[in-house]
Parts: sequence; C-alpha cells; structure tokens
Amino acid sequence: MEHAITPLEPLLPSGSLKYCLVILNQPLDKCFRHLWHKALLKACADGGANRLYDVTEGERESFLPEFISGDFDSIRPEVREYYAIKGCEIISTPDQDHTDFTKCLEVLQRKIEEKDLQVDMIVTLGGLAGRFDQIMASVSTLFQAPQITSLPIIIIQEESLVYLLQPGKHKLHVDTGMEGDWCGLIPVGQPCNQVTTTGLKWNLNPRSRWRTQCCICSRAPVSLVA
Amino acid sequence: MNGSTQLISSAYSWCVHVCCVASVVSGSLKYCLVILNQPLDKCFRHLWHKALLKACADGGANRLYDVTEGERESFLPEFISGDFDSIRPEVREYYAIKGCEIISTPDQDHTDFTKCLEVLQRKIEEKDLQVDMIVTLGGLAGRFDQIMASVSTLFQAPQITSLPIIIIQEESLVYLLQPGKHKLHVDTGMEGDWCGLIPVGQPCNQVTTTGLKWNLTHQTLSFGTLVSTSNTYDGSGVVAVETDRPLLWTMAVKL
Repeated sequence: MEHAITPLEPLLPSGSLKYCLVILNQPLDKCFRHLWHKALLKACADGGANRLYDVTEGERESFLPEFISGDFDSIRPEVREYYAIKGCEIISTPDQDHTDFTKCLEVLQRKIEEKDLQVDMIVTLGGLAGRFDQIMASVSTLFQAPQITSLPIIIIQEESLVYLLQPGKHKLHVDTGMEGDWCGLIPVGQPCNQVTTTGLKWNLNPRSRWRTQCCICSRAPVSLVA
Repeated sequence: MNGSTQLISSAYSWCVHVCCVASVVSGSLKYCLVILNQPLDKCFRHLWHKALLKACADGGANRLYDVTEGERESFLPEFISGDFDSIRPEVREYYAIKGCEIISTPDQDHTDFTKCLEVLQRKIEEKDLQVDMIVTLGGLAGRFDQIMASVSTLFQAPQITSLPIIIIQEESLVYLLQPGKHKLHVDTGMEGDWCGLIPVGQPCNQVTTTGLKWNLTHQTLSFGTLVSTSNTYDGSGVVAVETDRPLLWTMAVKL
C-alpha cells in the first residue's frame, strides 16, 4: 500500500485540506495567520500560548485556541489568565515522562474523536529551533505519534518542514509551488537499510547501504517558504 | 584535560572536560576552532584568540567577516575550505589577500563541515600540534537538514580525527559519546539547567548514568521508546554515562 501526501498542502491558499493546528513554544512564522483561520481545531502547548499572545497583540480575540495544554512551566500567568477568561480550555498535563507536545497531541486526538471531526492532517508550528534537546524531543514525538493518532503530523518552523515516513512506500507531491530548493532523508533513530527513491536529484537505490554516516543533503525541493 | 583511561566495552573511553569555554578562561585547553555558517555567538571572541588553529567552512567566513567589521585583521583564519557555494566573493577575496589559505573541497558527497575537519586534521599533523579538542561554532540551528548533517559529521569524525569534537551554538552544546564509559565534568559554573542523551543513529540498549536528575540503569534509549531530554543535574558536578552504541550528549551552556 502506498501513502500519498502533499506536505505543503496546508499552506495552499485555496486548499481544502482539513487539519488541526498545534503551536509550540517557538517564534511564530508569518504563515501562521493563514494556517490559523482554516484550521478545524487550534491548540497551544504550554509556552506556545505566550507566542500566540505576543504576536496577536491588538487582535487577540480573533486568535483564541480551543485549548492550551501542558505542565505550565512556560506559560506566563497573565497569558494563561487571558485565555481562560476568554473561554479557552486550560488542560493541565503534568506527566514529566512526556513532553508538552506529545501530551497536546493526546488531548487533540481525544477532542477530534469527541467532536467526530474529519481531519486529514495535524500541522505543528515550532519545535525545530532553539534548545537542541527540544528539537530532538519534537522529532521523538513524531515517533510516538502513531500510538496517539493515525493522522499524519507535519512540523514546520521557518523554512524547514519535517515529516516521519513510516516503513513502506510513500509518494510525496512536491509541486505546490511553495517548495524551496532543498530536501533530505534523515535516518533518525536507526539505520534504514533499504531505501529507494525517485524524484530527487540524488536518488537512492536498493544497493546503497544507508547509514547515519552518510550525509543526506540533497538539493531537490521541499522546504517551506512563508 | 583529565585523561582517565578506564576501558570498558568497546573502543575507548575518556574523561572530557566538556565545557571548554571555562577551560579557555583558565587557559588550559588546547583546541582548534571551526566556524560554520550560522550567526556567531558572543563567546566566539574568547574562543578565537586562544585557539591553536582557526578555520571557516564556506559561509562561516561570511559570518566571521560580518561580525568583525572594523577589526577584521585581528580575526584571520588559517584557512577557509568548502565548495564555496555560500561564501561571498568579496569575503573570499578579502581573506585571500590577507594570506588566509583558501582550500576548495568540491566533493558533493560530504558536507563542508566534514571536509573542513579533514583539512584541519591534516594541518594539525603537518604542524605537529598537540591538540585536546576541536570546537565547532554553529551547525545547530537554521535548516533542519543541515542541523542533522552536523550531527552526521560527528558520526564520521572518528574516521577523520581522534580528537573529541564539540559543537556549540547559542545555548546548546552537542558531543557524541562513543561506546564505553564516559565521565563528564559539569562543574565549571557555565553549565545551564538542561541536558539530554539522544540516541540519534540507533537505539542504545544498555545505558547507565549517574549524576543526572533522571538517571538510567541498563536502559534502552531509542526514538519511539525513550529519549532523555529536559534532564538536569543532581548537583554532584559529574555525569557518568555508559553506553553500548554512539549516544549524543547535549547540554545547555551559559555563555
């Protein structure tokens, strides 16, 4: 079975993709406004609410998330209070064995099921810059995600997008016009021993042994240009 | 550098005075400096003058050039290497005129960083320098594929040099622990409040630590199972890590 995805589809102005939006604790990119209004559900993970609050000054009432979840060690008290007063659900997820991002996905999935929403994708903003351990934690969450939701999850920050390909065949449509000039395949977590690609400038074939020692930086398109 | 040689399972183990910035201040560590194509942090000035050799990888020269405006002659690298698809022509010309070696490394199968390490190691050998560590600035922000490429270079590094390599950008430091036992001294006062152990390349099935707030005992670290992030210290000043596979150590540095 082959999985098809257009990673940048949520960014298309005329797109019909049904997605939910998760905001992590990193500076918000310009694309966030476009993504916000078309999202079925919007959520902030802890300090992501600070980012939303700060960047929507003067128009905050137009940018109210359905919920904010986390252990709340990052969200500012006045930010939490503002969104609580405005009717956003404030959901404490104190478990220290999982990140705010992971726990936010769990809450999101529950709400999608409760509301019986038809959703195609979860779009996450942030998570790919700042503290190195937290960048890696974002990637780790993608590995845990299949146990939480069957929905594909993409993470976007600045000009980078990441998406975890599960074992199997995937077709990535990269012709939205919003692709930048680089892309890559990164065997995070373990070696991938049988990788075959087409459509890249430097493709891989079954004879090439894929190890983390090989640097992947190819020069074909997929990147976000906001 | 503290040189404990307790060999356990695999190739080697050593004590590493990880937070080199403090060592620079105390003047004890002998290191070379590599500058990658990312904004330079404030600490770069301290690190520059005591480095035995300084090098830029391609666009790293742009960063150096821009941040040293008005005093560029005090910040001339020994060499700049790369495929030169990032360095600005006027920057390349400036450093060439000033006598910096410009070394083209066009091989597209390896990154500028990897190739820069190869050139650096060659020069260390040619000059017969005693070096304890290679300090790299940049590489941990910006394009995601390039962040991963920096990490990938750490995996290739043992085939290039026997020297430990640390990468620092903003508040993050990364260092790849080879299989075996390691003792990380984290009592310089420049440690920030977080650290982590990231099994980037493959699961690490037997990881034991002491000195962390959340320690591990013969546990598996693996993406999808357990990755140690947002960890911190227990106050003892020393973190010991034993691992059966290469494991990436990361920590906050207060610059």
